Amino acid sequence: MKAAPFAYVRPGTVQDVVAELARDGAKVLAGGQSLVPVLAMRLGRPSTLVDINAVPELDRLSRDNGSIRVGATVRQRRLQRDDLSASVPLLRLALPWIGHREIRSRGTVCGSIAHADPAAELPAVASCLDATMLLTSTRGQRQIAAAEFFTGALTTVIEPDELLTEVLFPVAGPGEGFGFGEFARRHGDFALAGAAVRVRTTGDALQARVTCFGISDQPVTADVTAQLRAALAEVGPSPTGSQLRRGLAERADEVAADVVDTSGDGHASTAYRRRLVAGLLAREVSRAYLTSTSASEVSAS
Amino acid sequence: MTVPHSCPRTEADQPAEVRMTVNGNPVTLSLPARVTLSDAIRDHLGLTGTHVGCEHGICGMCTVLVDGEAARACLLFAVQIEGAQVTTVEGLGRQDDLHPLQESFGRHHGLQCGFCTPGFLMSSYDLLRHQPHVCREDLPTELSGVLCRCTGYRNILEAVADVAEAHPDGIPGPGNCGHRTMVGRTPAVSSGTGVVATDTRPETNPAGHPREITLPTGEPTIRIAVTSELTSSPQEVARVFDDVRLLARCLPGAELTDEVGGGWYRGRARVALGPVRLSFDGLAHVAEQSAERLVVAAQGQDSGGGGAQARIVLSARPSGACAALHAEADVFLTGRIAGFGRSLAGDVSRRMFEDFARALDQAASGGEPLVGPQPPRAVGILAAALADRARRRWQQLRRRITRG
Repeated sequence: MKAAPFAYVRPGTVQDVVAELARDGAKVLAGGQSLVPVLAMRLGRPSTLVDINAVPELDRLSRDNGSIRVGATVRQRRLQRDDLSASVPLLRLALPWIGHREIRSRGTVCGSIAHADPAAELPAVASCLDATMLLTSTRGQRQIAAAEFFTGALTTVIEPDELLTEVLFPVAGPGEGFGFGEFARRHGDFALAGAAVRVRTTGDALQARVTCFGISDQPVTADVTAQLRAALAEVGPSPTGSQLRRGLAERADEVAADVVDTSGDGHASTAYRRRLVAGLLAREVSRAYLTSTSASEVSAS
Repeated sequence: MTVPHSCPRTEADQPAEVRMTVNGNPVTLSLPARVTLSDAIRDHLGLTGTHVGCEHGICGMCTVLVDGEAARACLLFAVQIEGAQVTTVEGLGRQDDLHPLQESFGRHHGLQCGFCTPGFLMSSYDLLRHQPHVCREDLPTELSGVLCRCTGYRNILEAVADVAEAHPDGIPGPGNCGHRTMVGRTPAVSSGTGVVATDTRPETNPAGHPREITLPTGEPTIRIAVTSELTSSPQEVARVFDDVRLLARCLPGAELTDEVGGGWYRGRARVALGPVRLSFDGLAHVAEQSAERLVVAAQGQDSGGGGAQARIVLSARPSGACAALHAEADVFLTGRIAGFGRSLAGDVSRRMFEDFARALDQAASGGEPLVGPQPPRAVGILAAALADRARRRWQQLRRRITRG
């Protein structure tokens, strides 16, 4: 369980980082909480690790133009503690689920998204909120929306010579409510299934979307506005949580059947994951709807 | 979180240099980039309190504090830690002054085999330091980052809950993070990769020895004060004090290998206790030498990764017609030998000083001390004791004859 030998470099600027990445076999090292286990098990043997922790500008966490901008070396635990994350409630809900405190101390937000584990929380949050990823290389910079970013298990559109320098999470607007839940056998394990939900209620307009994870090779986002509307028509416009959950139950089963496309593994079968997703979906959509209506009341008053 | 300074490319077969502060001590390590922080702490610094279990971030055994936050040392390469403050379980408390968490784990029997204990201590320290008001119900989740296969967790949770209750305003900081020189493994042992240098390491002069042996500040691991009544006269003892080679022969298991000059000596000391075999190579410096007082500073490294430093003050004063030898020693142990029970290490050291006093007595009265380069053994100790008794009888007889 020792990593194979590698060359190591710790540049001080983004320019120098991308220059190093332009070489063959170079890999970015940020928090290392996903990469180092891969190296320890020798599933990966990059010839060079480019440590980006000496670049001060990548350590920035800021808010501008309706987004919070999270730099490449911002740790998950720091974001969890920072007041800024309160403006993106879905992050606040999701962050405690990531690994353990000890992992979040070092693990970075951008690193988790770049690693794109199908069962990880942050790629799902990025997908649900349609976050924007900023990629930099010697060839220049480009912005990619979450919908185009994830392409498969541990795979994204990031080219080998590109660095994910920042992720922009849109700040929650009035009338938005969120839900997040996952199921794992032990706290901190990768989820067997999970769901991130955003519901927007502004006046009569209603929009609900859910991103499920752990159930396919990448996060899967579905629009569940019709299902929520139908459930509300059934249980009335101001339901309690349990009423709405019951109204959503059957419809959640249908959505789950649609989004879960993993063939199952030693931990859980496809059918079991569908049941998990359906349960999580009904619970979290209901929670998101109820917080969205109270949020719009607050913003109206 | 410290932002480290940039560093140029280090090739895979080259060592990289990294500076960090471990338990309050600045250290500089030179090691390949692929060496994890956990291996660096254990193999290069000899701090084996940090345990290594799965080596891929699951079990939590290797949990340490990096810049005050708990992290898995197996998921960090030591080179990444440049400029950071690392606290290991050794820094948490002292054997005679445990941290409240350590004390509570003991009281609640929060450990059985003890393998996960350093991980749990560091993880729960981090938790209570940052969330002193954490509620009991959240403890299982908050402490889920470390696995225990013995206790069923119940006693661990009790131990942590107890400390949280007793310290609602936050727990005390680490109690053993002083300015303390650490003794690391010799480079040869860690296959050429562990060139350990502490910033407090004294400069080496052309004669090949440091300018001085700097003892750690803080509490020694063992403090010894032994007074032995000798049969020799103060003048006879002074003769031994004057002859370092003879003096060294009186020390059980010790061997003088080289006289460097200027009061500096190289030597070896071996200890054999049942299955325990320790062999220290090191340096001694006679800092003060007079007819009735001898001050020696010594430092040694055991081939297994332990280290010892000591300041020994020997003084002889008249006690009737004979001399009384008083030995005082402050001994600092690091590495695996520090894991010896404090009282056992203390008892062994005290016994060694008693043997030393006996041998010195023999040497002073003109005999050859009955210890040599052989490590102290039961037979040797017994033989010395018998010879001592026989000689005393003979001296009593002689005195009677001269009187008569």
